[in-house]
Amino acid sequence: MDERDLVFYGTPIEREEELSSRKKKAVAEASGQLRTLPTWKQEVRDEEGRRRFHGAFTGGYSAGYYNTVGSKEGWAPQTFTSSRKNRAELKQQSILNFLDDDEKADLEGQSLATSTQFDTFGFTASEVARKQADKEQDKRPSAIPGPVPDELVLPAAESIGAKLLLKMGWRHGRSIKDSSTDSLYDARREARKAFIAFSSSDDTKSNIDGDANHVNDHSNSLERPVNDDNLSSQYTPLNALQPKQDLHGLGYDPYKHAPEFRAGKAGPGFGIGALEEYDIEDEDVYTTAAYDFEDTVVQEVEDSSKPITDHKHRLTWKEPGILPGFKVASISDYQVEKFNAPEVPKDFVPRHKFAGPLKVEDKTAVPPPPDVPPPEDSNMKVLIEGVATLVGRCGKLFEDLSREKNQSNPSFGFLMGGNGHEYYERKLWEAQQKYKDQKKLPLPSDGKSSQKTEKMNAENRGKILGERPLERSSSSLVSPDVNLQSNLSDTFMKPLQFSELPEVSKPFKDNSAKQERFQQFLKEKYKGGLRSGESGGASNMSEAVRAQERLDFELAAEALEKANRGQQSNLSAQQSMDFLTSAGMQFTSAGVEQSKDTLDKDFEMKKMYPKREENQWRPSPVLCKRFDLVDPYMGKLPPPPRMRGKIDSLVFKAEFIPVPRIGDKTGQNQNRSSGGLQSSAQGVRDGSADEEEDEVVVDVENVERPVDLYKAIFSDDSDEEAETSKVSKVEDPEKKVEVANATLNRLMAGDFLESLGKELGLEVPPDLPPYSHTNQNPSALEKETTGLNPRDGSSVKMVAEVPKSMDDQSPPRGKLDEVKVVKITEEDRKQGSPPPSEDRMDRRHSKRQRRYDSISDSYSSSSGDDSDRDRYSSKSKGRRKKGSSSRDKKSSSSRKHSRRRHHRSSSRSSRRDKDRGESKREKRKRRD
Amino acid sequence: MSASDLPTKEANVLKGHEGAVLAARFNADGNYCLSCGKDRTIRLWNPHRGIHIKTYKSHGREVRDVHVTPDNSKLVSCGGDRQVFYWDVSTGRVIRKFRGHESEVNAVKFNEYASVAVSAGYDQSLRSWDCRSHSTEPIQIIDTFSDSVMSVCLTKTEIIAGSVDGTVRTFDIRVGREISDNLGQPVNCISLSNDGNCILASCLDSTLRLLDRTTGELLQEYKGHTCRSFKMDCCLTNTDAHVTGGSEDGYVYFWDLVDATVVSRFRAHASVVTSVSYHPKDSCMVTASVDGTIRVWKT
Repeated sequence: MDERDLVFYGTPIEREEELSSRKKKAVAEASGQLRTLPTWKQEVRDEEGRRRFHGAFTGGYSAGYYNTVGSKEGWAPQTFTSSRKNRAELKQQSILNFLDDDEKADLEGQSLATSTQFDTFGFTASEVARKQADKEQDKRPSAIPGPVPDELVLPAAESIGAKLLLKMGWRHGRSIKDSSTDSLYDARREARKAFIAFSSSDDTKSNIDGDANHVNDHSNSLERPVNDDNLSSQYTPLNALQPKQDLHGLGYDPYKHAPEFRAGKAGPGFGIGALEEYDIEDEDVYTTAAYDFEDTVVQEVEDSSKPITDHKHRLTWKEPGILPGFKVASISDYQVEKFNAPEVPKDFVPRHKFAGPLKVEDKTAVPPPPDVPPPEDSNMKVLIEGVATLVGRCGKLFEDLSREKNQSNPSFGFLMGGNGHEYYERKLWEAQQKYKDQKKLPLPSDGKSSQKTEKMNAENRGKILGERPLERSSSSLVSPDVNLQSNLSDTFMKPLQFSELPEVSKPFKDNSAKQERFQQFLKEKYKGGLRSGESGGASNMSEAVRAQERLDFELAAEALEKANRGQQSNLSAQQSMDFLTSAGMQFTSAGVEQSKDTLDKDFEMKKMYPKREENQWRPSPVLCKRFDLVDPYMGKLPPPPRMRGKIDSLVFKAEFIPVPRIGDKTGQNQNRSSGGLQSSAQGVRDGSADEEEDEVVVDVENVERPVDLYKAIFSDDSDEEAETSKVSKVEDPEKKVEVANATLNRLMAGDFLESLGKELGLEVPPDLPPYSHTNQNPSALEKETTGLNPRDGSSVKMVAEVPKSMDDQSPPRGKLDEVKVVKITEEDRKQGSPPPSEDRMDRRHSKRQRRYDSISDSYSSSSGDDSDRDRYSSKSKGRRKKGSSSRDKKSSSSRKHSRRRHHRSSSRSSRRDKDRGESKREKRKRRD
Repeated sequence: MSASDLPTKEANVLKGHEGAVLAARFNADGNYCLSCGKDRTIRLWNPHRGIHIKTYKSHGREVRDVHVTPDNSKLVSCGGDRQVFYWDVSTGRVIRKFRGHESEVNAVKFNEYASVAVSAGYDQSLRSWDCRSHSTEPIQIIDTFSDSVMSVCLTKTEIIAGSVDGTVRTFDIRVGREISDNLGQPVNCISLSNDGNCILASCLDSTLRLLDRTTGELLQEYKGHTCRSFKMDCCLTNTDAHVTGGSEDGYVYFWDLVDATVVSRFRAHASVVTSVSYHPKDSCMVTASVDGTIRVWKT
């Protein structure tokens, strides 16, 4: 295809070989094109044809005047004169040759500027002053680095205008106008007024004239300055204390688009990254204001034109008598107009009548029932009083209602005229009186003849404010013979009468003055009203003491109230009073601000806290390593998050599968003897783990694999199995499983020990020997070592870990004890054992070997070779047992061991090769 | 040591932090001190000469705690940016950043071998970070706390942390056991006694509590200062004879360890005293405050 048929986009990448062609082109251009182009379009290229970068100062590919040494004017230098005809005169250089125009102007003093002398607003003066200050600043070091803030520099001189004005009697802050203009203006206005008044009399002219006048007036009012002295000052230009120096326009707000930078918002000194937002965490909890941004926002204050001096001026003006030539008027025009309350016409009938209360009021005429002592039963008393108060407030209706409701209730017998009826009557009456009083106050003119247009008198006011009326001058509404208890404090809802507390209730008995203050305090607290000036204590008390005392009072009052509220029996009240007294004593003596209550709480707290709890915690193996400690769990995986059966907490997760099944079965067999149990457990094992048993066979080959067995066993497989186990778990009711597991554990322990004993041919192995014997067997086989192999020992240790969670199992039966002993010795040995990592390696090794053995055994064992099986089982069991016991002595998890054995096999089997199936099957058959 | 030997005279003022200083810590031998603050920097000082040595900048938000290895080669710091920074002291470069905390990190400490840093976070967890490997994943997360973990202390075998849930929890690595001492009050800061037998816990009810570590018993309570809303440090003096702590009003208090009387109190700062650190050997103390200064106190 021809190149011309194609369309090219973009710039092709240049190749080396293309350079030559470009070169040619460049040559061609140089010869032809360059000549045709004007100078300023020509480009400088090197011999390779590339543009040459030059003229860097002017920023690009051209230098000089369009790549020439010429200039706009042309090539010829202007200054050339022929020295032949016209000798060039010697040029006299002066400084002026080198200055710009404005500099020249400056230098020659030709510039026009206000001099300091005629600086009306002080701008120049302040400028000069600032310059001066800057200069000084440069000379001497100062605490504030950098240029002097403008605010600190004040104009040094009064402007000439100000000086002149001052000489003419003007003062700062006044408007500039002479009083004569003012008076002149006033006179004119008066005249105009008169003229208007005059002209209005004859109507003919008034229209025209009036109009004219109106216009005139209007325009006058516009131009007319405010007359008042204080206002006039507002028109004085602001003294140029802070001349505007920046170039910001009016209303300029530097934070307009960055409101987060507005003063105060920023944290101390810093914001956070531009891309981050302020969170709650970024709040400055310490509330420091030290690093606020300088507030440069132009505050638009309404009366910004008001000079600072104005304030003072006004103050002086306000003070009477200070103004020279004036005095305070003796007769004032200003009078407070008083309005009397509207009188309600005599024939006024209030339309809204409320049945209840008004009816009650009608009864005022009814003579008060006799004062009856309250019934003995304090509960009754309280009930009666409560009902009475309610009825008094809500009207007879309520009484009827409650009577109906409580007809069968004996405690409401007083309503039906039964026990306590008289007392109820009395209380009801009192309550009604009280309520009426309250009603009357807000409605002084409710038509009652006795208190028509009653003016507020001292008593009423006192009642409103909650003052206690003096003894005998009590309100006339209550007949003098009635001693109304409730009247004393009735304007407020608190029915408690602190003023008449028994002697007991005086918590500050020992200090009469204090007690008095306390009473006062109580009164104020519960009755409201105005606090007396010295409310918090004696006048000679310090603030702190007063506060302290106030606290005491509050507490005492609280306690008192509590006591009163629960004043069922006098006795308890008495007690609480006593209690309070003691507390009060404490306050006064020690000045501790805690009441007995809080002290009690504190004490309780102390008893409660600190509380100590202990939990299991698994440090991760790496953490242990980094801390240079032996991992207490030896790198085993943590137990699953939820604790199921105790067996589950065995290291091997793989064991989860059979658990529920076994658990279920053994749960039913709980009551059997240990022998029976053993058999049953055995049966269970066989039944539940058929496949697993089969898989044991498989392992023979696996052993050969150079796999990290440890890891394989503990992590990989267990993961898989754990999953499956979980699934199966879900189906099972958890609780049942747990119970079953617990029993299973117990059984297994016994079972295991027994079987162990059998296998060893011992009744109850009393000591280490049996153990070492079992151990020795494999070790002798494998390594031909005599006696106890230390490595074996370590391996024992290692396998031994059983998580702690197991330890809450039932205590081991007797046989397990010697296992413990064994374990202990093992641990002793452990102390001298090589570091864990090595250990582990060895262990792994030996284990593998052993397993090999055992597995090979298991072939035959299934066929009934006792000795072989013995070895196998004893080995594994012994190991495990020791392990578990070393972990924690309580555990009797032998049960687990047996199970674990097949677990291990199962875990191993999970890695089995498929082609092993055959042998497996074969084996199963054999077993069956 | 008598009360007169307490460091109450101002020896130096270390200025440089802009904004609140959140922690000041002596290094292991007491020759240097480190501070960190709201200005997102960590500063290294010679408090005895009053010299600012170096500034470590990399944190994106305020730095709340800093700790230096016993050999002075590495730093670990944490703060509001939810990361734990592992620094090289001499070059001032961040070697590693440990991310994982879901919220601000309140405190961080090295273990004895400087192989692990344990950080305590607002996300109610303790996380331990491996300084030896290149992994930036936490070695272990302890999340048994039910509120923000404020402070952490490490011994050779234990991790001790105090939390706002009112507990001081000791995680014994050697035994694999967690001991939780519930104080009933939010714990602000914990500090080990020099003999390692006691924990001093600063609670938000303005009380310092001294706990016996083996029994969990409350040995003593120290009151008088104000500590109600800020995280403030407390510590024991080098001789374990006195307990010291800051107050929200800028005072520093000294209590007698045994009878809990206020032995000395003086106004150290204009604002909340966020941190106190006592010299490991001498009678010398540094205090840091919200007012932006660190002050060195000597007898």
